[in-house]
Amino acid sequence: MNKLSNAIKYVVLSIAAFVSIFPFLWMIMGTTNETRDIVSGKIKIGGKFLINMKTLFENDLDFPKALVNSAVIAVLTTVFALLLSSMAGYGFEIFKSKGRERIFNVMLLSMMVPFAAMMIPLYRMFTKLNQIQIGSVKLSTYFGINSLFVVIVPSVATAFLIFLFRQNIKAFPKDLVEAARIDGLGEWEIFARIYMPTAKNTYAAAAIITFMSSWNNYLWPLVALQSPEKRTVPLILSAMGASYTPDYGMMMCGIVIATLPIALIFFILQKQFVAGMMGSVKG
Amino acid sequence: MKKRLLGLLLAVMVVFTFSFTACGGSDKSSDSDSDSKDSGKKTVNVWAWDETFNIKAVEEAKKVYSSDDYDVKVVTMSQDDIVQKLNTSLASGSTDGLPEIVLIEDYRIQGYLTSYPDAFADLSSIVDEDAFSPYKFAVNKVDDKIYGVPFDSGVTGFFYRTDYLGDAGYDDAALQDITWDEFLEIGKAVKEKTGHALFSLNPSDLGLVRAIMQSAGTWYNAEDGETITIDNNPALAYGINIYAQFLKDGIVEQVADWDGGVNAVQSGSVAGSPQGCWYSSTITGADDQSGKWRIAPLPKIANDAKATHSSSIGGAGWYVIKGLPGEENAIDFLDNTFASSTDLMATLATEIGLVSTMKAAADTAPYQEANEFYSGQKVLEDFSKLSTGVPEVNYGQNTYVIESVMAEYVQQIIDGKDVDKVLKEAQKQVEAQVAN
Repeated sequence: MNKLSNAIKYVVLSIAAFVSIFPFLWMIMGTTNETRDIVSGKIKIGGKFLINMKTLFENDLDFPKALVNSAVIAVLTTVFALLLSSMAGYGFEIFKSKGRERIFNVMLLSMMVPFAAMMIPLYRMFTKLNQIQIGSVKLSTYFGINSLFVVIVPSVATAFLIFLFRQNIKAFPKDLVEAARIDGLGEWEIFARIYMPTAKNTYAAAAIITFMSSWNNYLWPLVALQSPEKRTVPLILSAMGASYTPDYGMMMCGIVIATLPIALIFFILQKQFVAGMMGSVKG
Repeated sequence: MKKRLLGLLLAVMVVFTFSFTACGGSDKSSDSDSDSKDSGKKTVNVWAWDETFNIKAVEEAKKVYSSDDYDVKVVTMSQDDIVQKLNTSLASGSTDGLPEIVLIEDYRIQGYLTSYPDAFADLSSIVDEDAFSPYKFAVNKVDDKIYGVPFDSGVTGFFYRTDYLGDAGYDDAALQDITWDEFLEIGKAVKEKTGHALFSLNPSDLGLVRAIMQSAGTWYNAEDGETITIDNNPALAYGINIYAQFLKDGIVEQVADWDGGVNAVQSGSVAGSPQGCWYSSTITGADDQSGKWRIAPLPKIANDAKATHSSSIGGAGWYVIKGLPGEENAIDFLDNTFASSTDLMATLATEIGLVSTMKAAADTAPYQEANEFYSGQKVLEDFSKLSTGVPEVNYGQNTYVIESVMAEYVQQIIDGKDVDKVLKEAQKQVEAQVAN
């Protein structure tokens, strides 16, 4: 009986595994084939891998530059988002103030507004920012639409991350903070030297989530980044698919390369990620 | 040990941040470079899709004409991305970062011209209406002002395999001047005798219905671009009936998406494809099938006085965004290239197989050439003739909105419901949708 239920379990799991792995397999096989074979659904390892890679990197769309742009945006977003959100989450839990629960709830509500609804106001705001001039310095030179800054800033403070950190801090022993205060540590030092080292798992989880969403972000960079040399990987991939006869072999190469950083980061931080998510839920 | 690692990580991040600001700095200087390099040479930016077609066309145009005052820079983007960016920028009332010249599909342009009347420059002074296929001006004009330079034709034809149709007993003459009903019979015979489907259809893509409708000069909306004319539209009803009949009789191969259709052609499973002329590059992509293809005009609607063999799917035009510093230069560039140069049209005919909507293009040498792939047929000339006869139709502001609603109702007709009843219902549904 036990054997039978085990067998069923494995069959179901195998099917599920196949369904989730197959697209990746397809993608990787695609890198070695030319468009015609991909479109006709042949599953085989072809000999076109190097040719596809060559067309990808020698393409006018400048794929390497897009990789650099994406990396800069994703890394900076992750660093700033982690710093800011953890501070905010810490502040919400450790320091008591009157309206804090209310503010926190309003902030959570903001999670429910879809981005598409905020896009046009956000765009207007940044273009208005373009026109501001302080002395002889135009703001647009540093912060205007079309700078990487515009893509980074809106995703630096997210309600979800603040929520994640706050939940995690709930499980953090407050006595430690008290003890540190008595020992004469300043509030900044407590945060940096007592809290941060204990929250590595939460940071790892938050890093994966932020990096992934920033790396894959499509709509806002599409709208905000105007000049072609600032475009990110998803935008380039979308432009490649725009032909009446797209080169799928080349695109598959691009997609595989675009998937690698996320896969890599996930495998490196996998253990911490799971622990981080668990920690927050338990709290 | 761990602390040291953390410190190292932080240091790396700091370095990264600094190098980013530095690189941002160099970016900025290169930006202002493009504005001011070579003593004030300006840039005219162009947005378009498809590197192998539209982008190449602009690159060729740059070879035909270059000015000392400005450089032309092309940016490749998908059509959806261009639409998204235009929508956001125009809706927020900002022209920051928009290009001087943008390629817009015929189906979409009326929506832009009516929603944002001040966003596009009047090009009446550089576009001669008599010089292009008349149907292009049904969409790029508002109040007698011309806003676009007509570019590629979407003129339709039936691409077919001479070997498959030959096996079923049909030659080129048998496909000339026929009705869709006769075409249906041909499809049955081909399926019976050769086992091949006549062509492939994706039941959620109504391109064929659109083409049949336009061939008789009607559309989902009336000439004002707003009044919905789905009910009491004989050409539409006829088109949907034929469309459904093809699927019901199993004459066509059902595919799930665009690539399915491409595969059906390239793998040799179907005998043909009714499409816009731009589909030619996909057909010729299967180079092992050279000499086995020809192109016939589309069949026409039976019992309709206005019915023709000419129609259009797709096609686009060049538009200039108003109020940008480079507006004058952009108009100058279009004036000397796409709006007037027959040499450019001749080059594009050989380079990318463009069927131009410029009438004079038909007199250039490449249009007279026999095409080896299409069994020696003078493909460009034939398409060009058909293009001038495409009935003028105002695509209105809502073609894609209407189509997304229609797909569902067409499914009901395929399932066997009464056409007139379903279209009546569709009319109501679309009116409600568009009113929002």
